[in-house]
Amino acid sequence: MNRALETQVDAERPEATTTPEQPTLDSSTPERPPGHQATVSDCVVGYTSLEDMLCALLERIHDSLDFDTAAVLLLDEDRGVLLARAARGLEEEVRQGVQVPLARGFAGRVAAEGRPIVIEDLDHAEVVNPILRQKGIRSMLGVPVHVEGRVIGVMHIGTLAQRFFDEDDVALLQLAADRAALAIDNARLSEQRAVTAIMQRTLLPDALPQIPGVQLSAKYLPAGSGVKIGGDWYDVFQLASGRVVFVIGDVVGRGVLAASVMAEIRIALRAYLMQEQDLPRVVALLNELLVTMGRNRSATLSIVQFDPDAQEIEVLTAGHLPPLLVDRAGRAVLLEQPHGLPVGVGACQHYSARRYPFPTGTRLLLYTDGLIERRGESIDAGFGRLKRAAGEAAQRTDASFADRVYRVLLDETPLEDDMALLAIETQPLEDALDLTLHARPDVLAGLRGTLGRWLAAAGADEGELFDITLSTSEAAANAVEHAYGAREATFTVRCEHDGEVVRVIVADHGRWRALRPHGGGRGVEIMRSLMDSVAVDSNDDGTVVTMARKLSAGA
Amino acid sequence: MSGAVTIERVDGVPVARVNKDIDAASAGAVREQLGEALGPDTHSLIVDLSETRYVDSGGLDMLLRLSDRLKHRRAMLILVIPEASQLNRLAAIVGLPQAMPVRPTLAAAQQAAAQLPTLESGTPLP
Repeated sequence: MNRALETQVDAERPEATTTPEQPTLDSSTPERPPGHQATVSDCVVGYTSLEDMLCALLERIHDSLDFDTAAVLLLDEDRGVLLARAARGLEEEVRQGVQVPLARGFAGRVAAEGRPIVIEDLDHAEVVNPILRQKGIRSMLGVPVHVEGRVIGVMHIGTLAQRFFDEDDVALLQLAADRAALAIDNARLSEQRAVTAIMQRTLLPDALPQIPGVQLSAKYLPAGSGVKIGGDWYDVFQLASGRVVFVIGDVVGRGVLAASVMAEIRIALRAYLMQEQDLPRVVALLNELLVTMGRNRSATLSIVQFDPDAQEIEVLTAGHLPPLLVDRAGRAVLLEQPHGLPVGVGACQHYSARRYPFPTGTRLLLYTDGLIERRGESIDAGFGRLKRAAGEAAQRTDASFADRVYRVLLDETPLEDDMALLAIETQPLEDALDLTLHARPDVLAGLRGTLGRWLAAAGADEGELFDITLSTSEAAANAVEHAYGAREATFTVRCEHDGEVVRVIVADHGRWRALRPHGGGRGVEIMRSLMDSVAVDSNDDGTVVTMARKLSAGA
Repeated sequence: MSGAVTIERVDGVPVARVNKDIDAASAGAVREQLGEALGPDTHSLIVDLSETRYVDSGGLDMLLRLSDRLKHRRAMLILVIPEASQLNRLAAIVGLPQAMPVRPTLAAAQQAAAQLPTLESGTPLP
């Protein structure tokens, strides 16, 4: 055995592991023909996929070092495991997605200790990966892959016959690992960046929903660039009942795993809320789901359910900062909630929600801590700044409310962390109502709610409100039926009031089905009975139903 | 979970309270839930529309078909529509009161159900 190699025997685990001293990376040390190192470093450029690059790298190393098997494992920092990404003579390792926990087994120890490890006889060593034994590997040499002092992976080689890896072998493999490290890190970052960018796009709503009488605006700024995507997200959706749900939250941590937990929470909340209106129960279900999935990630969130008919909001927070309500006079109030733990921390949590009036002209801000928290400052100072900014922004009309709040805040202090901000403003309905709706039956309830509010504001009495709303719903149900089978089809509803007569125009782009119209043919009969006039104009481009009804108040 | 229909039996008669609008989106689910209230010996089903604001033509069609189906089984669908409800005018337009009993209160509907002859058990259904 080479004198430089010291045999290290672990007192607790009798394994024949030897650990060489860290060899110097003086390129003159290995007694190899010149040109080998150049070969090693050349191969790391020009490959598009990380796997291709690593395989080529192992191929080149094989030209210089004689071995039977080789593998590169990269560290998944979020989960604390090494994942096999490339192999030679050990292809099953990659195919089977071998994972080695940090500090366990051969590769795990190389990564945890951050130095080369030699195993002379595998029969007497702790090995996690069964493939190594199945292959009949006898001796192994593993070196860490470092970037800027942190270990990002492990590269190891093995031989079927017993072999004593000497100082030169160690130095050469370490050199190969070092030369490849930066390229591996870059390739991995760009890979993660691509995944993260896709996730980010799918996590945030493409566009905020169009809800008459509700003005929505949002701002999202990831503070870190590239892979350092924050754990902040927001979501807005309208339920079939016409209620609108606003969610803002923050998953602990960053990167792809935080983003995927975010996506899971987003989908779970939407799914539960389709079945269940009770917010505390929905959040308790979400919490159970996260705990049972064993994600080991917690998240804080605020959920607000807005009922446009009742002009009320229901607020629930789970470890999240309280929403800020700005009333018509510009007064800002934090809607502090009873204690509710973040979701994903522990099973069997209970949550509670509170309701607040939310009349026309009121504004609500949902945000993450990055908006108000500054280093070396109390949270109360942040709340105070937010209240002032919201009050000031409420007086102005340029840009969206979210933008205004953000700008006022940013003028005072720069952003230190990522942040998300969602603003909700209720406004009086316009004189004319113009709606574009998806041709799906579940939009009908929301349409009736919106129209009911608009008609009440226009001075319709209870009977008129019922007649016009139901007739419009009938025409809309026909439009939905016409679009049957068409993807992404929409129809429009326009309502006008000239002080006397309410006119409703429902237009679609489908064919009028005279033979089997919606409701067994009673729809048109109902419309004609409830409205003063009904005209159906149908051609190849679609169907337009125009209806009118005189209001008694306008007479 | 919040269903559209809650069902309870009062003196052996199933009473289904519909707590949402019956329209093209919900008629199928409501029909399914009403069907679950029907047993082999059901001679009447009371559908209480006191909490329902809108029933569209699809919903009315569903109620008329269900009524027909029950009649074939010598059973009766009875509706509760309060006097102040806008649904009364709508019911009149499509002739609902001619097709099935419509009563202003649950008590009146139960009285109507009590007057129906009970099927002897063992009578085969058509």
